[in-house]
Amino acid sequence: MSDFALHGLAPSRVLAPASAEELADCLREASARGLAVVPWGGGTHQHLGRPPERYDLALTTSRLNRVVAYHPADLVVTVEAGVTLDDLQAELARSGQWLPWDPPLPARATIGGLLASRATGALRLAYGPPRDFTLGMRVALGDGRLVKSGGRVVKNVAGYDTHKLQIGALGTLGVIAEATFKVAPLPEYRQTILAAFTNPHLPARAIEELRAAPLQPIAIAALNRLGEERIAALQPFRDGQPAHLVVLARFAGTVSAVRRQIREATRRCVAVGARTIELREEDDTPLWAAIADSTAAAYDGTLLLRVGVPPDAFGAGAGLLEQIACRRGWAPRQLGIAGGGSIYSRWHVAGAEPAAVAAALAEVRAGLVTHGGYAVVEEAPAALVTHLDLWGPPPEGVALMRALRASWDPAGVLNPGRYVIA
Amino acid sequence: MSAQEAARRQLIAALTPIVGERYVLHRPEELLLYEYDGSALDQATPDVVVVPASTEEVAACLREAWQRGVPVVARGAGTGLAGGSVAERGGLVVSLARMNRVLSVDPLARTAVVQPGVVNVDLSVAAAPYGLHFAPDPSSQRSSTIGGNVAANAGGPHCLKYGVTAAHVLAATLVLADGSVLRVGGAVPDAPGYDLLGVVVGSEGTLGIVTEVMVRLTPNPEAVHTFLAIFDEMDGASAAVSAIIAAGIVPAALEMLVGEGIAAVEAAVRAGYPTDARAVLLIEIDGLREDLADQARRIAEHCTAHGARELRAAADEEQRQRLWAGRKGALAACARIAPHYHIQDGVVPRSRLPELLRFTEEVARRHRITVVNIFHAGDGNLHPLLLFDLREPGVRERAIAAGEEILRACVEAGGSISGEHGIGIEKRDYLAWIFGAADLEAFAQLRAVFDPAGQMNPCKLLPMGSSCADIQQARGALRAVAQGAWI
Repeated sequence: MSDFALHGLAPSRVLAPASAEELADCLREASARGLAVVPWGGGTHQHLGRPPERYDLALTTSRLNRVVAYHPADLVVTVEAGVTLDDLQAELARSGQWLPWDPPLPARATIGGLLASRATGALRLAYGPPRDFTLGMRVALGDGRLVKSGGRVVKNVAGYDTHKLQIGALGTLGVIAEATFKVAPLPEYRQTILAAFTNPHLPARAIEELRAAPLQPIAIAALNRLGEERIAALQPFRDGQPAHLVVLARFAGTVSAVRRQIREATRRCVAVGARTIELREEDDTPLWAAIADSTAAAYDGTLLLRVGVPPDAFGAGAGLLEQIACRRGWAPRQLGIAGGGSIYSRWHVAGAEPAAVAAALAEVRAGLVTHGGYAVVEEAPAALVTHLDLWGPPPEGVALMRALRASWDPAGVLNPGRYVIA
Repeated sequence: MSAQEAARRQLIAALTPIVGERYVLHRPEELLLYEYDGSALDQATPDVVVVPASTEEVAACLREAWQRGVPVVARGAGTGLAGGSVAERGGLVVSLARMNRVLSVDPLARTAVVQPGVVNVDLSVAAAPYGLHFAPDPSSQRSSTIGGNVAANAGGPHCLKYGVTAAHVLAATLVLADGSVLRVGGAVPDAPGYDLLGVVVGSEGTLGIVTEVMVRLTPNPEAVHTFLAIFDEMDGASAAVSAIIAAGIVPAALEMLVGEGIAAVEAAVRAGYPTDARAVLLIEIDGLREDLADQARRIAEHCTAHGARELRAAADEEQRQRLWAGRKGALAACARIAPHYHIQDGVVPRSRLPELLRFTEEVARRHRITVVNIFHAGDGNLHPLLLFDLREPGVRERAIAAGEEILRACVEAGGSISGEHGIGIEKRDYLAWIFGAADLEAFAQLRAVFDPAGQMNPCKLLPMGSSCADIQQARGALRAVAQGAWI
C-alpha cells in the first residue's frame, strides 16, 4: 500500500486492471461511488502537482504492459499505457528503430505516465514533443467511457485529435489505456561536443551558433556550474578549470555528416571563447541519460522549478533564476534545454520560510512576464508544497478547460485538486 | 417579405457598421462565388458573406450571428476538398481574404505570426530571406491559406519528413461562436493547462474562427536531391515504396504517379516525366550532403531491386520546380482524361500499399471507371482519382460506389478515411466506420464546450446527429474537374 502513498496520503484500495475494458470499468465504478482516483504508471512523475484533495483508489497500469502491435515496416507501434519507455525502446531497437523521446527515468517511467505528465527531454529540439509523434490513443474517461481518437497510420484527419488533450492533463481528463506512435529509424551514429565557457554572457550566443545552418543538432543542453558538477557522467571530462556554463550539443546521422558538424560546431564554440571536448560515441547515450535524469524528482528537500521562456529570453531567464536563488543562498543547479525553451532550476531551500520561498517564486513569475514565460514548481519539499502556488495563474481558456473536465469526468474523481484545472 | 428574408436584412444591417457596406456581400451575384469549394459536392448559397479585416471585426460579426442563431462558416481560399467551407445550412460565411498579412518573422526563434488569409506559399516567400520556410506544402499551396491549412490540418508531399500542419503551429487566436476571443497555445510550449490548440488545428472551423496564427518555420536544407524512379510495373513501384520505408529511410517526399496520370501530367508541364512508364516515383531527399549521398544510394538500391528501369535525377533547380509543378497540378492535368472526377483521401499502413493500389484498379475496372493514382505514397495516403463523363448514364452512382469500396478497404487495412482533405460534409457519414458511439459522443462533448449552441460550421466533421436531421444529404455529388482544385 505504501508504494502508492502520496504526500502522506495512502489509498484504501489499489486496483490493477488487466485490460482497457477493465480500466474503464474501474473508473465507471469509482465515478458512480464518488471515489477519488490517482492513476499510477511508474510513479516517476507523481511529484508533480498539489496533494490530491481526496485519495481513495490507486489505479495502476502495471498489468497493461503489452506491446499491442508493432509493424517495423510501417514505422508505427501501439502499446498499452503501462509499458516502460525502456522496454519499448528495447523492442524498437531490435528493428533498428526508436522513439526519439528522452524523458527522465525511462527504466521505470511508463508510456501512459510520461504522456499524462508531458515529460520531455532534450531530443525535442529535433524531433518535437511527444504530441507530434503520438498518432492516437484509447482512453478511459473519468466516467468510465472507453474512447479512442486518432488512428494507427501516420497521417489522419478523421475526428478531433482529443488524444492531444490527454497529453499533459495529469490524468484529470481520463486515464490513457493505449497509445500509438510514429517511430523513427535509429541514427547510424551519434556524437556530442561539450563546450565550457568561463564568460557567463556568451553561451546564449553559442546556442544560436550551434543551431545555425548547416548544423542540425538533435539536442542542446546548457548547465550552470552547480548543475554540471552534479552530473557524475560529466566527471571524466572536467579539466579542473571552473566554467560558468557548459553547453552540450548532440549530433546524429551518418558518420561523415556528424563528423563535419562536430568540426564546425567546435570551430564556432572556440571562436566565441570556449574550451571544447569531443565526447566519444560510447559516452553519448549514458551522458544524455544522466542529463535527462537530473530533471527527475530528488526527494532531498530541494525545490525544482521548470521555467518556460522563448528562445530570445533563454539567457535572460537563466540569469533571472540564478540571481533570485543566489541572492538567497539557495545554490541553484540549472539545466536549460534548447528547442522547448525549458530551464530547470533546483534550489536548496532547506530551512527557508514558506513565505520567503513564495516571495522568490512570485519574483520569478513577475520577472518572466515581460518575456511571455511561465514557471511551474515541479517538486517542492513537504513543508512547502501546500504553501506555494505550484502552477501559477490559471491559463487562458480556463473556463473551457473546466467545462471539458466536467464533461469527461463529471464526478470529479480523477486526481482531484492536483492539476491547474483542479 | 418572408420572415427569413426580414431576418437576413436585419443581419446585413447589423454587420454593415462593423465592416462597412463594401464588405457585406448579399446580392445573389455576389454570393455565387461562395457557393462551393474544391470538393465534389453540391453547392449551397450563404445568406450573407462578410469580409472582416481584424480579429475585433470577426468577433463583432460573430456576436451578431450568435444573438440571431445564425450558422457561421469560415472560408479561406475555398480550395477544400470535403465541403468544409460550403454553407450547407445557409447563414453567414466569414471570408478571411482581407486578413492576409504576414505580421512578423522572427529568424532567431524561427517563428512567424500571420493572419489566416495569408496564402501558404507567400509565407515561405516572406521567410526566404532568413533561410527559412513553412514546411507544410499542400498541392494547393499557391492558393490555399494558412487559416484553411490550420482548419484542415493540411498535409502535402514534404509532410512525410517534416510532419503535418499541426506540428508547425505554435499558437492561434480563436474567436468563439459567442464572439469571445481566446489565445490557444503559445510561443513557449508546455505551459500549464490543456492543449486546446491541439484540437483546434484540424477542427474544420467547428470550434471557432482562427484569426491569427504563430507558426514554426523550418531551416532550408543544405542540399536537395530530386529524382524519378521509373517502373514498367505498378507493383514494383509500390513495393519499392514499402521497402524504402521498411528500411527506415524517410525521404523528404515520396510521391507516386501511375498509368494515364503520368502522360496527363507530362502534357501539362513538359518536365520530363516518362509517358510510356507504368508508374513513377518522385523522390526528394534533403539535408546534409553526406547524409544525402548515403540515402540516395540506399533508395536507388531498393528501386532497382524492385524493377526500376531507370533513375533520372532533376538536372537543375528549374527542372526540379517543373517536376513539382507537374505533381502539384496533377488534378487539373487529369481533366485531359475525362471531364468529371470523384476523389478519395484514404490512408493505409505503408506496408499495405501494393495490395491497396491493386485494389483501387480492380474496383475501377469492375465499375467501368478510369482511375488515376497520384498520391503521397511515402505516407500511405492514397488519392484515387475516379474520372468519367457525367453524360454517361449511371456513371455517377458507379463512381460513388467505387469510392466507398476503396475507402472501406483502407479502413479494413487498418487505415483512415482521410489523411489530409478533412471530413467536412463528404465523409462525415463514413466516420462511424472508424469511430464508435462513445468516441463520437466524446467528440460532440468537446465541440459543445467550444460552441454550446452548435452554430460554428454546423453538421460538419461529425456524423449527422438528430440536430442536423433536416439537412439534405449531399454525399457523393460530383463536379467537373476544375482549374482550382489540387490533391
